[in-house]
Amino acid sequence: MTAMAKETPLVHPLVNQYLRPERMPHLACPGCGIGQVVHCTLNAVAELGLTPLNTVWVQGVGCSSRLSYALWKGDSIDAHHGRIFAVATGLKMCRPELNYILFTGDGDCASIGGNHFIHACRRNLDVVAIMFNNGIYGMTGGQVAPTTPLGASTTTTPHGNFEAPFDLCKVAEAAGASYVARWRAIDFKPLTHSIKKGIRIKGLAFIEVLLPCATNFGRYVLKTGDPGKVQKWINDRVVTLKKAESMSPEELKDKVLIGEFVDREQPGVVENYQSLLKRLKEV
Amino acid sequence: MKGTKTGTFFVQGDEAIAEGAIAAGCRYFAGYPITPAQEIAEILAQRMPEVGGVCMQMEDELASIHSVGGASCAGFKAMTASSGPGISLKLEGLGWGIKNELPYVVVDIQRAGPSNGVATSVAQGDFYTVRYGSAGGNYALIALSPKSVQEAFDLTIECFNLAEIFRCPVFLLCDETVGHTREKLVIPDPSKIKIVERKKPTVPPEQFVLYPLDDDSVINYPFPSVGEGYSICVSPYTHTSKGYPSTEKVDQDKMARRLTNKIMKNVDKLTRVEKKYLEDAEVAVIAYGASARPALAAVETARGNGLKVGFLRPIIVWPFPDEEIYRVAERVNFILVPELNTDGQMVREVARAAKGKAEVYHLGSGGVETHLPDEIWREIRRLKK
Repeated sequence: MTAMAKETPLVHPLVNQYLRPERMPHLACPGCGIGQVVHCTLNAVAELGLTPLNTVWVQGVGCSSRLSYALWKGDSIDAHHGRIFAVATGLKMCRPELNYILFTGDGDCASIGGNHFIHACRRNLDVVAIMFNNGIYGMTGGQVAPTTPLGASTTTTPHGNFEAPFDLCKVAEAAGASYVARWRAIDFKPLTHSIKKGIRIKGLAFIEVLLPCATNFGRYVLKTGDPGKVQKWINDRVVTLKKAESMSPEELKDKVLIGEFVDREQPGVVENYQSLLKRLKEV
Repeated sequence: MKGTKTGTFFVQGDEAIAEGAIAAGCRYFAGYPITPAQEIAEILAQRMPEVGGVCMQMEDELASIHSVGGASCAGFKAMTASSGPGISLKLEGLGWGIKNELPYVVVDIQRAGPSNGVATSVAQGDFYTVRYGSAGGNYALIALSPKSVQEAFDLTIECFNLAEIFRCPVFLLCDETVGHTREKLVIPDPSKIKIVERKKPTVPPEQFVLYPLDDDSVINYPFPSVGEGYSICVSPYTHTSKGYPSTEKVDQDKMARRLTNKIMKNVDKLTRVEKKYLEDAEVAVIAYGASARPALAAVETARGNGLKVGFLRPIIVWPFPDEEIYRVAERVNFILVPELNTDGQMVREVARAAKGKAEVYHLGSGGVETHLPDEIWREIRRLKK
């Protein structure tokens, strides 16, 4: 990771309104999509009228989290690697009136935190979880992730990845999340819309974002340092849900779907526990 | 809605711990089933909602302790409980609590190990595990150990109070024997129980310093929760006084000293031992937790037989009561430490604190049963010769 040039002016009004100016410049590498996702999040926050007082940002460990930690003017809780959903469970169960926006990565959420992720979806914990998927371990320098394509070369798969990746959106759906969507970082409007929806919906909203990482995914998997080429590689693989309807299984092989997969508001652990407390109070 | 209990009960140690937590104001518990600690979770699953609190059975031990950390950030008094194999896992999350100065309580009902060992039986193998188990070092730790059901209740409350005063995770280092023994428990009226509440900042957010790194010994320091406007920053990284990550040596050094010294510079407030028959003692038996009861019985047998044997029991086991041990070592010929492990754990601390003033001997066992008073008495006679 390289820091942005110091002289970069801080002009965007959302930055001054919601982020801590002393935490700028941010740590993102050139071409990284994390800044775009933070931007979409701030748009959603602004449109819904959330404030630093009623909203907590929760992070894990990795690029996703190191880059978003202590940016938010409100409370910022950064968990150990993979434990973001466990920490968020304690926070939300105790202070259910606050909004929690979680920033996690594919390593954090799908690998070391996989079990916690599944159970947070099963509990349908009322939080928004945004998973930055760059297909590799970025922070530690390009190791294979459970989201890295089969055959891809990384620093820990120098002979090619011999493990298949898995689909976190399907996991979230099967485990019981209220809302599941996947977008690219460049899908500005639909991503903002999904984050807004995720904040409002009761239960767990899981939003996966396909993120170009030129520094490591580009370097080791695609053999390029050009963010444009990494973004193009993502663009060539994604297919919208609508377009997929008219495609054969053969054509869809190796493609990644984007869109809203699940939108089924249902009560989760927070509401269930609140009604349990109410029931006991009435006895 | 039922409130906190008051009265006289005939219960096991695990239940006393659960009721002690409720009396202390604990309103968040998270656990994972494990023998011999699950009674605490079962009782709190019943009791927590009755007092308006939260009780969660998490997917694993890691999730339990991390959710307790989250609850602590949310302003709740919180607790988790486990035993050996679960404690090993919890140590991963403990580091996050220590580093971020989060007040909460961890209960360890020690059982025979290593690994799964004998799940349903007593041992004392976690003495060093709880103190030094969290990787990275650079911290001190508080642990209290009860010898009876009444003490399990009293010391659980004390653990919560110390957690608030020192703003750190505190261990109740219990064992299967105390956890499963049934005996009398008196729960006083709530007005008679001393409770330390979480201190909140009295200055506006822009003047508040979340981590007092410039004064490494300050205690009773406020800890605002999320949603109170103080914009707290909690993370796994070495932090500045604001909670921002830092890779500077000066910040790492300040933080490491703070985490060690806030406890070690206040060790005078953290020394608590039980002493008996030490005035004229030529021999001392030092034991804690479940081992303390047969040890005291053996000492009394020795006294009955005219031998000048004294007894000391650390109640706060960490920080270790070095001064008290040294004073005993100065006046006796030798010290015997019966404990339920074969590798010799507390005995090493006793030997270190004795600074060569007395011979120190270990009476070990792999656990499963406590020592019999007679075994300890025989060892005293053997060493006396």
